[in-house]
Amino acid sequence: MSGLAEGFRRFFGEERDAWVLGLLRLAISALLFFNGLRLILELSRGGYFADYFHIPLIPEEWLPGRSVYALLLGVQALASLLAFSGVWSREALLTASSLGLYFMLCDRLQYHNNRYALLLLGFLLAFMPCDRAFLLVRGRAHALPREERIAPTFARRLFQLQVSLIYLGSTAGKLLDTDWRSGQVLFMRYAHAPEFCAQHGFALPAWLALILTSAWFASLAAKAAIASELFIALGIWLPRARRLALWVGVIFHISIELTANVELFSWLMVAAYLAFVVPELRERRFEFAPDNPPAAVLARLVSLFDWCARFEPTELSKTSAHGAAFYVTNREGRRASGALGLAQLAEALPLFFPLWLPLSLYAKLNAKSRAAAVNSV
Amino acid sequence: MPRSLLNLSPRLRPVFFCAYLATQLALLVRAQSSPDLVFGFQMFNASSQLKISLFRKVRRHGRSRLIAVREGMWQTKDGAGMRHTHRWQDRIRDGHLGTLDQFVHAAYGLDAQLFRLQFALRDVVQHLAGDEETEALIAEVDTLKNGREAGHLRLKAERP
Repeated sequence: MSGLAEGFRRFFGEERDAWVLGLLRLAISALLFFNGLRLILELSRGGYFADYFHIPLIPEEWLPGRSVYALLLGVQALASLLAFSGVWSREALLTASSLGLYFMLCDRLQYHNNRYALLLLGFLLAFMPCDRAFLLVRGRAHALPREERIAPTFARRLFQLQVSLIYLGSTAGKLLDTDWRSGQVLFMRYAHAPEFCAQHGFALPAWLALILTSAWFASLAAKAAIASELFIALGIWLPRARRLALWVGVIFHISIELTANVELFSWLMVAAYLAFVVPELRERRFEFAPDNPPAAVLARLVSLFDWCARFEPTELSKTSAHGAAFYVTNREGRRASGALGLAQLAEALPLFFPLWLPLSLYAKLNAKSRAAAVNSV
Repeated sequence: MPRSLLNLSPRLRPVFFCAYLATQLALLVRAQSSPDLVFGFQMFNASSQLKISLFRKVRRHGRSRLIAVREGMWQTKDGAGMRHTHRWQDRIRDGHLGTLDQFVHAAYGLDAQLFRLQFALRDVVQHLAGDEETEALIAEVDTLKNGREAGHLRLKAERP
């Protein structure tokens, strides 16, 4: 068999542990539910969309009548809940996302990129074995045994490509727009920040207002935004850059969530990063001294927040502790304690991932200054 | 092992993969020439604004005149002498296009909002039951493109 055919077979025949895909299903189906809930609220408060101005992308005759529309919204909400709880998860995801795409085609005014991205990612997730872990209806025994979780995950690659395309599409749009490239768009937005803050009873310090309303800052921010998106889109495909790309992505989306109204977009993209997590479980080790209170608290935190099942927790024996309260061994086999150990923990715990880079940098700087101190002695 | 129709056979996987990717790429490319960039993942809004002033073209005493629509509302009498009140916002629920005579944010850019406004005019003019006077609706639009005055344009929808 030629190398190309072997690569083709390996790509489409790839079978990996589906644990993390279960977690991804929880996130995406919850977002699908909230997206559907918004449509239900709009129907109950504002009325049936086709009774007012709308622009269908499909022939008008294909639009559902008012009662059928209400029924379909109910089906979509129910499907999202089924997907979340783990009952016919994949079929439910396909139903919820396909209905959402259909509603979007019924009215162009309903189109928003974040909603479209959510529906596409929900659709793709339906083709992944995301129904083998986090099956909430099964209670504590929510995952199938490991051998039953190993399944074809080729659609995960498509999901990853879709995430890249979202960033590339966004980057291309900004690069082609002179006002975006130059920073004029952001300048207009930042220029209103002092006024906006004052209206909300919070005065920005003069120096900050001066920076925000300066053209150079807006220009710099625009270039940084474009570079960040491009880096995320491409960096997630490079094993050595992936971790940093995901970290930049998380920080990028936190900052967007804090400064702009982008509906579910930030939550969606951060959840979508789960598709880039290495599927294999417990390849890292967390050793802790059970009689050390801070280490015991840390162990508790790890067991609570290790949603992707990255760590194999082990109790340190008194003789092997060598004074350290805990050790973290990463996938490359590097065993560390202290700040570097915490960084290696944050790297693999989704909730603490934003702390990974600051902790790593702190650990590196600390190690350097210690080495310098030893050398000077 | 859970069985699902969505477990594609090894033969179907490449077909699905290529069909999905080709569709997405085609939509992305097509979006660049679409005024509202629909399916284009243009995630962040521009900072443009527009102000819509609405006028009715009416025929009275054999002459066509333009009458400004104040606060999005006008009244007409039908053939039987019944008075009818028409409101722009009765049909245009969209927050951007529904606001008249003041600058509002042009979500997804000026081209997107002007494209939608043309449809909105057409929609309203097709739903003027009881208004036998109005021959056309005209929108005079002032635009500010990312803070700079971009210009003024007129959109019109004739009654069918």
